[in-house]
Amino acid sequence: MPASQRLHFQEELARLEEQALGALDLVVTTLDRTLEALHHRDIELAAIVIQDDDRIDGRYLEVHQGILSLLALQAPVASDLRVVAALLHVIKHAERMGDQCVNIAKLLPLTGHEPPVDEEILAKVEKMGALARSEVSQSKQAFLLRDVALAEDLVRQDAEINQLNKEIFRRAVEVGGDPDVREWGMTMMLVARSMERIGDNAVDVGEQVAFVVSGLFREFSDASHR
Amino acid sequence: MAENVTDQRRQEDEAAASSSSPSTPEGLTAPAKGPRFKRDVIFDVEDINVYYGDHKAIRDVTLDLHVNEITALIGPSGCGKSTFIRCLNRMNDLIPSARVDGKIVYHGEDLYGSDIDAVQVRKRIGMVFQKPNPFPKSIYDNIAFGPRVMGMKGDMDEIVERALKRGALWDEVKDRLKTNAFGMSGGQQQRLCIARALATEPDVLLMDEPCSALDPISTGRIEDLMSELKQEYSIVIVTHNMQQAARVSDMTAFFTVELHDEGKSRTGAIVEFDETDKIFTNPEDKRTEDYVTGKFG
Repeated sequence: MPASQRLHFQEELARLEEQALGALDLVVTTLDRTLEALHHRDIELAAIVIQDDDRIDGRYLEVHQGILSLLALQAPVASDLRVVAALLHVIKHAERMGDQCVNIAKLLPLTGHEPPVDEEILAKVEKMGALARSEVSQSKQAFLLRDVALAEDLVRQDAEINQLNKEIFRRAVEVGGDPDVREWGMTMMLVARSMERIGDNAVDVGEQVAFVVSGLFREFSDASHR
Repeated sequence: MAENVTDQRRQEDEAAASSSSPSTPEGLTAPAKGPRFKRDVIFDVEDINVYYGDHKAIRDVTLDLHVNEITALIGPSGCGKSTFIRCLNRMNDLIPSARVDGKIVYHGEDLYGSDIDAVQVRKRIGMVFQKPNPFPKSIYDNIAFGPRVMGMKGDMDEIVERALKRGALWDEVKDRLKTNAFGMSGGQQQRLCIARALATEPDVLLMDEPCSALDPISTGRIEDLMSELKQEYSIVIVTHNMQQAARVSDMTAFFTVELHDEGKSRTGAIVEFDETDKIFTNPEDKRTEDYVTGKFG
């Protein structure tokens, strides 16, 4: 079978990978806007984040359909099959991360106009956001380069996010005595929770990198101990 | 994915997170495949080299074929798949210049031992070829031919019926057993050839590209038939259709061609022999990977 006969297939697979990894770029942009909306308490920007999630959802449907067609028409095997299977996961995780941004954006108006804030919680939530953004970028890069070491490094960053999540919880309990800050603090706990989930999704993308390269699926870190 | 389900998803995520069990400290890993259920070996092939005159056609083939399994032989043209499968029932004996070195142990006996009768070998190890090749006789006589030559005892009508049933052909031809086999469709002719091979009660069926001359419906029938037959027989199939190998076989051997003397001389060799699932999802050898993904061949 001359190589040229599979050329169309290889191009199609490369295009699907570009589209799926592009969804992670969309997530980074959405996350940037979400963090900005959080920082400036910008309700309009939060509304745009909610509205714009349709783009990530649309990308999900596009890649999903493309993968089904590729499976049906080209019957990929071996490393090609692993890439196709991994892309299905990647696009799903991207779609979930987009949803988490929507969750955060929906929480922001609930805090009310110029609520009393706790600076420590706010700083930690923003730090979590920056770390989550970095994880998403890195997971994309690791997939693009098939770099397992880079993918495994996500666990280190994710541990930091998880630690911040716990600290925010503790601090929210501490400031919960003050009825003025209580509601805002609880909302921030939910925001932190969404960011923590984005980090987990990025680690999951990293696990797909290791699967594509080695053919074996393994969890980088134990979910029950994260 | 719609906004109204994001909250529900969040709840699901949280529920999943809170229910994750602390009793699995090692985390989720793909189930490692335990040792495969070991079947009895039917062919123990050791260091087989086949020569046509001075030309070495295949070299150093070593593998074990197992009872009640379908083994597929795949590889590019000229890689020695057909040469190898013909070694398994001593078909190469019929080519004057062919010489087989090495050892094939069949049911514990050296297949090429001096005391082995090649005709008896071919009775026990049936073969089906690329093109259906019925004899210019009735359907009945096609099936009865082998048992008569072998002097098999028993009711010939029963033998014919049993073979046609095993070949998944009985219902289609039971009312016209005396008509000429050439009146059948290509797919029916090929199933007749399979039934004919089964009539002498073999325990191995060798199939050399049995579906390459058939349409997809007939191919599907033969593939279904193979899955049924493997309950009773061991099957080795040469196929150019990799999806067919992936669909029907338990084990797959990938052969390749090695070029010598600036491409003037070609020798077939085995590259990888493993479970079909492994060959088509995560092959060990780069050459197998390139072949099954269509990057080389």
